[in-house]
Amino acid sequence: MLYDIFVDPFVQMYQMPDFFLQVLWEGFVAGILYALIALGFVLIFKASGVFNFAQGIMVVFAGLTLVGLHENGVPAFLALILTIGVMGVLAYGIERVVMRPLVNQPDIILLMATIGLTYFLIGFGELIFGGEPKRMITEELGLPTGSTAFEFGERGLVILQHIDIAAAVIAILMVTALGIFFNKTRIGRALRAVADDHQAALSVGISLNQIWAIVWFAAGLVALATGIMWGARSDVSFALEIIAFKALPVLILGGFTSIPGAIIGGLIIGFGEKIAELYWGGLVGGGIESWFAYIIALIFLLFRPQGLFGEKIIERV
Amino acid sequence: MNAYVGAEKLPVAGDPEREELLRVDNVSLSFGGVKAITDISFDILKGEIRAIIGPNGAGKTSMLNVINGFYHPQEGTITWQGKVRRKMKPYEAASQGIARTFQNVALFKGMTTLDNIMSGRSLKMHKNFFWQLLWRGPAEREEIEHRRKVEDIIDFLEIQAIRKTPVGRLPYGLQKRVELGRALAMEPDLLLLDEPMAGMNLEEKEDMSRFIIDVNQEFGTTIALIEHDMGVVMDLSDRVVVLDYGKKIADGPPEEVQASQAVIDAYLGVSH
Amino acid sequence: MFYREAGQFKTSYEKDQALFPIRQDKIGLGVILLIAFVVIPLTANDFFLASIMIPFLVFSLAAIGLNVLTGFCGQLSLGTGAFMGVGAYAAYKLTTIFPDVNVILLVLTSGIFSAIVGAIFGLPSLRIKGLYLAVTTLAAQFFLEWCFIRIGWLYNYNASGAIEIPTREMLGVVISGAEATPLARYFVVLSITVVIAFLISNVLRGRIGRSWMMIRDMDIAAELMGIRPLQTKLMAFAVSSYICGVAGAMMVFFWLNAAEPSSYSITLSFQILFMVILGGLGSVGGAFMGAAFIWILPIVLRAIPSMLGVDIGAETVEHLAFMVIGALIIFFLIVEPHGFARLWQIAKQKLRVWPFPY
Repeated sequence: MLYDIFVDPFVQMYQMPDFFLQVLWEGFVAGILYALIALGFVLIFKASGVFNFAQGIMVVFAGLTLVGLHENGVPAFLALILTIGVMGVLAYGIERVVMRPLVNQPDIILLMATIGLTYFLIGFGELIFGGEPKRMITEELGLPTGSTAFEFGERGLVILQHIDIAAAVIAILMVTALGIFFNKTRIGRALRAVADDHQAALSVGISLNQIWAIVWFAAGLVALATGIMWGARSDVSFALEIIAFKALPVLILGGFTSIPGAIIGGLIIGFGEKIAELYWGGLVGGGIESWFAYIIALIFLLFRPQGLFGEKIIERV
Repeated sequence: MNAYVGAEKLPVAGDPEREELLRVDNVSLSFGGVKAITDISFDILKGEIRAIIGPNGAGKTSMLNVINGFYHPQEGTITWQGKVRRKMKPYEAASQGIARTFQNVALFKGMTTLDNIMSGRSLKMHKNFFWQLLWRGPAEREEIEHRRKVEDIIDFLEIQAIRKTPVGRLPYGLQKRVELGRALAMEPDLLLLDEPMAGMNLEEKEDMSRFIIDVNQEFGTTIALIEHDMGVVMDLSDRVVVLDYGKKIADGPPEEVQASQAVIDAYLGVSH
Repeated sequence: MFYREAGQFKTSYEKDQALFPIRQDKIGLGVILLIAFVVIPLTANDFFLASIMIPFLVFSLAAIGLNVLTGFCGQLSLGTGAFMGVGAYAAYKLTTIFPDVNVILLVLTSGIFSAIVGAIFGLPSLRIKGLYLAVTTLAAQFFLEWCFIRIGWLYNYNASGAIEIPTREMLGVVISGAEATPLARYFVVLSITVVIAFLISNVLRGRIGRSWMMIRDMDIAAELMGIRPLQTKLMAFAVSSYICGVAGAMMVFFWLNAAEPSSYSITLSFQILFMVILGGLGSVGGAFMGAAFIWILPIVLRAIPSMLGVDIGAETVEHLAFMVIGALIIFFLIVEPHGFARLWQIAKQKLRVWPFPY
């Protein structure tokens, strides 16, 4: 038993390095996708202190809109642009109808409101596009398909899906773009001001409402990108909603307000859970992917309650 | 302001009759690289009113936090009733008889005045979960016994009318008074008051001063208070400790401290 | 006009500290109990009892349980569904091991197991607060759900992976299993819910309830007043999980008759949390109102199209119901973030001073 836990997995890793590398790659890709979802959370939490539970459903909603439009005869690129427009309208609507009347309520009320929003979007999405899973229009959007096999060592093969490579590249581009937007533009500066202190930002003439609409829109764009990538790997359906929960341990690791934290947290969770599932999961009957990420986050929290990049909390009275 | 300080003060300093309640020896406290308190020593005698004063950021509140076990000093010892105290949790300080109020009122906002003061009796109530489930019988009797004590405090502080009002709705001055009541309900040996009169108008200050003196003289409670209003400090306290930049710069009876050059420099500002 | 407390003087602290100090409230409660125990059993049909009243009561109890933890002690939990599941599986195993013991006793005992599990997952609450704590309770949710699926012993290695409730009698009346009448099950569920709601109200108004609220409102001040944070929080976790566990066991024993792991999924956790929030954090009465709203509203929404004679597919109705519930939740949060309990209080206050505005 002890051998199975502490020795055997490492022996396997050593003996089959190609398989191990494949697992790492899988973990990397999953991590990138978790990070993208977490990124959406971080954007909104930073600017408004709202823990946006609806981020997961926004991913599905964006994906569904894109595919649904295409199914109804809209060309792929036009559908993409229209979807971006829809996310913009959605952001404005959420700011106007949900966020503005609830400003200054306690965290838990805002969290509940976003869960209400989740229900609404599920009902709305299914009503319009139907509940059955759909195939993502990967090729139509010009994204690569297929795979490349790399020979590894004397007997091994590592297979990389092109779409995964594209996902990684797009994620990196997106994070870079967001970084530039936040640090170099006027709106970005206003946004950081809002993140620091709502009232102070208000008092120097920054419109909170405008900033919130913008971050919800930015989160919507991130959701769209995530929806395309994730949809290309499986299908677009409301089952994807469950991945939103996976973003929570990622946020715990990286902190609720740190963009680099979201990415590193995503990668740690992605690697950790794939490796644990494939090398240790068999010992307890498999399927530990469903909770392993939370246990990592839980143990981590016990030792560093402030997250990976947070500062040590000094309590004051 | 002297008008309402009726009773003459007991001569405390150097009085051999008085025992030492608490002594702080060479305490230093720092957060990361920031030194909040540097090598401070002083004592608090039983039955006196001891003031801790100093400019903002002098380390006064940190000192109180050290005394009631919320911060742990890196160096130095604290002797409580003749015994050197080990490192402990804040709730242990409470059970040893140290109560306090806070600079920014720390009442339980969702509870009524009555419940807030009742919460001060928590340590003195012991009926277990199963009696609480039944309520009728021991749990109810215990509750009523303590309710009587709490009603005494409510009468003493003259807050009968706001008994059932959630404290979040009370004006600031009354909140401070409820907070004092909550600390009194603990029947402490040592009562720490962190700026009990901050943000009050003259009338409220007079009321609060009267309560503090009454608590000290009627219940014999030892009091350590932080306060910025010099008039109040000079009138109320038996002895004063002055802190500046985390260091002790004076200690003694009010008149003596008032005359000290170091204190005048600290308050008026002198180029070092 | 009729709701006045003028002339009702309290001459002792006992009377002042009663659960319902105002006479009209006592009468009101009496009427509700009379309706619940006499009028409904006499008049209601099986559908109303089995599909509306029993689930409503089960959810009310679960909402009270979560309210103890979140509303009174301020610890946000998203693992309610799993804690209910622990109660259900524990009760099921207990009936297998002790087939002759009264099933109500076993249901009440099963809560102890979920109390233990709840306390274990409450341990991190000493260091972790707020939304971070919510994530650790999600760990409980997903881990326990996985246990319900993977550990065959829990469901006696059934091929279906589900637990099925055996038929059990009490005093010659079948109260659990497929043959039990809705009326018998209704009485069992109602009695357990009422008794637990009454007992927990006692705890909440006494020393222990106060210590929970102290932790909720200002944990640092509570600690400086002698409250041991870990002990107090763990007790809240244990008591809350006990109640949720009993509710979970009742859910399968007296309502569903059979349950799969997915019956106790994250969806159930959210449902209960909604009941607590909409009913009002920190209010036992609010838990009943929240449960009524969240459980009965979808049933009503589904019935509306057919009543109006509009012909839309069942699926469309389902989607519309989802949308409406989501929108209503947001609406109520905006109108009154403190829930129905606060609305009820405001209404009573208005009645008290009627015809004057205040």
